Amino acid sequence: MNVTESIRADAARLLTEGRAKMVIGYGLRNGRSVPVFLTEPQGADSLHYGPQCTLNLAAYLARPEVRRNAPLAIVAPPATLRSLVVLAAESQVPDGSVLALAVGPQEYHGVVDVAAAAEIVRKHYASPEVDPDLAARARELAAMTPAQRSAFWREQFAKCTRCYACRAACPGCYCRRCVAETNMPQWVSTAARGHGNYAWHILRAFHQAGRCVLCGACEAACPQGIPLMLLNLSTAQEVQEQFGAKPGLDPAAKPVMGSFRPEDKDDFIR
Amino acid sequence: MEQTKANKNTTRDATGETFEPRIVAFVCNWCTYAGADLAGTSRMQYAPNVRIIKLPCTGRIDPLFILKAFEGGADAVLVSGCHPGDCHYTSGNYHARRRWAVFHKLLDFTGIDPGRLHFSWVSAAEGRKFADLINDITERVRGLGPFASDNPARRQA
Repeated sequence: MNVTESIRADAARLLTEGRAKMVIGYGLRNGRSVPVFLTEPQGADSLHYGPQCTLNLAAYLARPEVRRNAPLAIVAPPATLRSLVVLAAESQVPDGSVLALAVGPQEYHGVVDVAAAAEIVRKHYASPEVDPDLAARARELAAMTPAQRSAFWREQFAKCTRCYACRAACPGCYCRRCVAETNMPQWVSTAARGHGNYAWHILRAFHQAGRCVLCGACEAACPQGIPLMLLNLSTAQEVQEQFGAKPGLDPAAKPVMGSFRPEDKDDFIR
Repeated sequence: MEQTKANKNTTRDATGETFEPRIVAFVCNWCTYAGADLAGTSRMQYAPNVRIIKLPCTGRIDPLFILKAFEGGADAVLVSGCHPGDCHYTSGNYHARRRWAVFHKLLDFTGIDPGRLHFSWVSAAEGRKFADLINDITERVRGLGPFASDNPARRQA
């Protein structure tokens, strides 16, 4: 049985046995991968899995209309497994409410709960796969002068239309009310230009610090091709370097930005 | 208010007048604000370029405050609070330190010169340190020149 067939069989079984009331998986429409929300075992044939499945389906777990169908099962490649563990660590996934149909690049790991998902991540996917081109571009940018970097990001952020697709695609962005949309007081200008765009992108990247699993869903969702992963990668590397944190390995992990160690480095403070 | 700020920026950038850095300092109520107060009551002279904003604790300083300051015309931002172990609320400064450690790198990566964002611990007894700090930052920012008006962090007129 190939991965797609295994997923179909397990999805149907979970729904039949009542272990899940909804299975979130990938389907195909016109050759493109789309999310599928199954509630009946008969629909299992609409599930597919392949390299084009880049959406991080964990983004749906926080939606009330999806949660209403708990217990849930979710088709989860390594990045989604990590997201699931991060969400569990942040108390966003009630115990036993989500199962994962864990898939690897080649293999199918079967149906697992959050603890077992973390186990799989630690064993097989402890370090997120970082695209070497992306890492090279981040290094290139870091080697520039601040003025050159400013010019680079000015051009990139100018493209932003503030559609917030990056936010919608991200499993980590689950706040019911986003600070980018509060207006009493207004912290982030909502006009799709200049400083408002800058503030939004800094805010988005910073709120993912220590939580981002580098799945790339935000950048893939961006209709304007803004290289959001450069921000995510540089922040993730910083977090790992300074605090040794790798998000998505431990469902009992303390939040990186919500905790501290008295011996944290402060060589940047006078 | 926005109008006034924009006008100030234009006058300063357009005419070749001597550049006076505008520094926004976010300080905590218990240590650095008291330290600044001590510098004042001790009649220490320091550069008048700093605008102090007092907050209960460094833990209260949201990174958005820093963005807002740059957006609205600051040439540099200083964030300062109690030394580690001295926080009035026990751990506010430890939490803040973690946040800044990542945040200042992110601002650097997106093109804000690290010389424009400063962090320090200044206790209520360190009036001298505060005065020296402000003088030093003012001089360094004078060297860097005005915050580029085309930096994406700056509010465009």
